[in-house]
Amino acid sequence: MSNARSNILAKLKAQVKDSDYDKLPTEQGFEYPQLNRQQQLAQFITHLDNNHAQVIRLARHEIAAVIAQELQQRNITSLMYGDNSEYTHDIEQTDNSIELSKYDFDFSDNKQRLFDHTPAGITGSRCAIAQTGTIVLWPTKDEPRTLSLVPPLHFVIVDAKTLYRSFDELMVKQQWADKLPTNVVLVSGPSKTADIQQTLAYGAHGPKELIVLLLNT
Amino acid sequence: MSVVQVNPADESKYAASARAFRDNVTRDLANDELRSNFRGAMDYLMDKRKSAFNDQDELETLRRQCQLIKQRCLVKLPHLLEQLEAKLTANGIVVHWAETITEANQIIAHLIEAKNGKTVVKGKSMVSEETALNDHLEARGIECLESDMGEYIVQLAKEHPSHIIMPAIHQNKKQVADLFVKNIEGFEHTTDVDALIQQGRNVLRSKFCQADVGVSGVNFAVAETGTLCLVENEGNGRMCTTVPDLHIAITGIEKVVEHLADVPPLLSLLTRSATGQAISTYFNMISHPRQPGEKDGPSEVHLVLLDNGRSQMYADEELRQTLQCIRCGACMNHCPVYTRIGGHAYGTVYPGPIGQIVSPHMLGIEATTNLPTASSLCGACGEVCPVKIPIPKLLLRLREESVKPASQQPQVMKGQGSGRKPLEAFIWSMWATIHKSPFLYRASMWFATRGRWLMPSKIGAWTVARSAPKLASTTLHQRIKQREQAQQSVQGRGK
Repeated sequence: MSNARSNILAKLKAQVKDSDYDKLPTEQGFEYPQLNRQQQLAQFITHLDNNHAQVIRLARHEIAAVIAQELQQRNITSLMYGDNSEYTHDIEQTDNSIELSKYDFDFSDNKQRLFDHTPAGITGSRCAIAQTGTIVLWPTKDEPRTLSLVPPLHFVIVDAKTLYRSFDELMVKQQWADKLPTNVVLVSGPSKTADIQQTLAYGAHGPKELIVLLLNT
Repeated sequence: MSVVQVNPADESKYAASARAFRDNVTRDLANDELRSNFRGAMDYLMDKRKSAFNDQDELETLRRQCQLIKQRCLVKLPHLLEQLEAKLTANGIVVHWAETITEANQIIAHLIEAKNGKTVVKGKSMVSEETALNDHLEARGIECLESDMGEYIVQLAKEHPSHIIMPAIHQNKKQVADLFVKNIEGFEHTTDVDALIQQGRNVLRSKFCQADVGVSGVNFAVAETGTLCLVENEGNGRMCTTVPDLHIAITGIEKVVEHLADVPPLLSLLTRSATGQAISTYFNMISHPRQPGEKDGPSEVHLVLLDNGRSQMYADEELRQTLQCIRCGACMNHCPVYTRIGGHAYGTVYPGPIGQIVSPHMLGIEATTNLPTASSLCGACGEVCPVKIPIPKLLLRLREESVKPASQQPQVMKGQGSGRKPLEAFIWSMWATIHKSPFLYRASMWFATRGRWLMPSKIGAWTVARSAPKLASTTLHQRIKQREQAQQSVQGRGK
């Protein structure tokens, strides 16, 4: 078994020479039409709408009230949020009708709590992509990966200022190639599947609902 | 005739079902429900893809770009695999190499047993289907549950996927409902798809919560950063790679890409070609196991790199293009043969046109002689392929490899010459001899036109649905000669 590596590499190396690299033709990407800010924002929202996400445009000071309202509409009384994250203070402004709990524990000892007793979670986001209606989650120790994954309802706060035209532009501008965290997730809607007779159903395994709180500044 | 020596322990279970191709086709063509399920699904997927590419210029530019990206990554493959291994290792992800499916299964089983793992949840991975990982783990007393909805259905039905991205496409909702009634206690019969998915969700969420190990595939492995990328819609891929404490990813050696910047164009073509989505619901990029201070995520992440016939594809420049595949499934969605016979008839893990060019390398030509011939060479697969694999051309090449004398060098493929039939080979060698000599050619034509009444009216399968071909009474040479003579005599009279 230990020979597998050297056997495979030897077989592959026997077929190519470094000089083959020079013969590679130039690759050319497609030049997409330039969109202005407003058009990009519209594109972002349209994609999310089509993918069954709910987009709410609001100002930062409205976060708490909007969360409370959305939760009440769904008869949900509790919400889990990140510890020390960018919007922690804004979230904590919700009234007493919502029981807030902080994700300040180790997941492995609290799996059941997250799976069975956490109806909603809220996270921030690193940035967003107009071309595909995508939100980039960059989980940290303050906003762990499972906070945006396990609860059936996921609120995500997106700052319109962080909207990029495309995925490739974003990776270049933010220099992702230099350093990536444990996990990055691109989210473009609630969990879905069309595995049974091509019929679209939402909430396959991840969040059944995705509510995007879009901060306009 | 070559006799292929296969260690029975190493032979894939799919070799036997691939050998039974003709019987499988007869069986599945007679199944009206199955045929209507596939027809509906393929029409749906073709429409979806079409609606995702409004601009032909964009599509062709992207196809060319992605073809070149994959070709570059293949030329640099050995170097990129080493770079990937070095980066992943530096990131804390352990890399394993496997030449055969048995090796891959053993590596995974040992990793699980070392952690005393008893239950595994698996995200969708065709490579783990290739190795028949579930069977291997179950034989060792490890429960391995499929978590992709389609895969879950297929596993309950004790079947295997009939399509690489929509595994349960051969079943309709009524069949799924019946299956759930039979297998899930307390399930009340319904054909409401939301209710069926909700049922699957409930069962699987409790499994995610308890599982010791998560197994996943990989769509792109980025050498530059040591990142494993996963494309999915359901969230089960995220569950499998986040919730259990041990994550094992398995992939073929061809999935490595050089740069992070190679990912966006490939991702865009992959999801649009597959399901017509601008992007999948989730795109998961994993670069490390859980880091100090982080509250969740697996503490161990492993990657198993599998060869299983891929280095054989690599060794021939034409066949190497097979490795450009990004597993979108567009070729099968547009294939008139796949649409009619369905995915199971092929008997292989990968069905449809891509399966026809991949499987002969994995299972050997002997088990798959029928596959390259099961095509009308209409060319649809090559036209929709996002990375421009010339599938029809490769099918012809495989037909050739299958009938070459077994001893002819160089031996490009395992089982070369397995499809060679002595009578057929004799006929073709006669044909070649005759066509190389003008004298023999004219003489044989003279005899053929005179003996044309000897032509049988029934020639096997050909005349089941067609009338028998008939030789002309005179050859083309004779006719032209006659015409020239007639013209000359007309001109002669005119003078």
